[in-house]
Amino acid sequence: MKKVSEMEFDEVGIVRKIEGNLRAQIAGMGIREGKKLRMATKQPIKGPVVVEVDKSFTSLGLRLADKIFVEVEK
Amino acid sequence: MEKILLMGNPNTGKSVVFNRLTGARVTVSNYPGTTVDFTKGWMKLEGKTVELIDVPGAFSLEPKDKAEEVAVKMLEEEKEAVVICLIDSSKAERGLYLTLEIIERGYPVVVALNMADVADSKNIMIDAEKLEQILGVPVVCTVAVSGEGIKELASRIKEATPVKIEKISKNASG
Repeated sequence: MKKVSEMEFDEVGIVRKIEGNLRAQIAGMGIREGKKLRMATKQPIKGPVVVEVDKSFTSLGLRLADKIFVEVEK
Repeated sequence: MEKILLMGNPNTGKSVVFNRLTGARVTVSNYPGTTVDFTKGWMKLEGKTVELIDVPGAFSLEPKDKAEEVAVKMLEEEKEAVVICLIDSSKAERGLYLTLEIIERGYPVVVALNMADVADSKNIMIDAEKLEQILGVPVVCTVAVSGEGIKELASRIKEATPVKIEKISKNASG
């Protein structure tokens, strides 16, 4: 498992763990355990990461992306 | 006076629907977060004048920013209001999350599956009838920018009723 913030470009992973009380905060953005994410863009200098979920894009602050863990597909 | 709140995720077309229903000209743009404050307008619904409130977009009812705070406050202040939940059909899951939160708080809801054209172009098909059966509230497909489905939406506002969340989860599993 690795953090969303550590995913490489175009890498696909399934959300396995969401730390702390973040679940309620990001569920409204379509991210929950079991969801498939694709890394779309990573902005430099601690910028946000953009992930694709269900054919739509969601940007996550680095603080959030550090607390979401995915299992990367081989 | 009866009040109707327009709620939904950011950038799902609440303000366009608001303009359509009231004939007003609220600023609309193609990026999220255009409405951070709320706008009020009036519309005629079967001979009665009702107040329509364009609420800023929110992802959930646990506010994370100023616009969401305004949205939650508005909802809590208008205990008697009917809520039109706008869902971007191409991002339905997020919209349904908010919709369920609003239903859970006991508000009568009408669901508008907006941007049906965008979903269509992405090959996303939503079974509105099935969704209506599961949720137990009116579900209407709309394309607010072209006006498609707006009349049906307006005509079904009166069918909005509060639904118990347990009933929805029962419908969804059975």
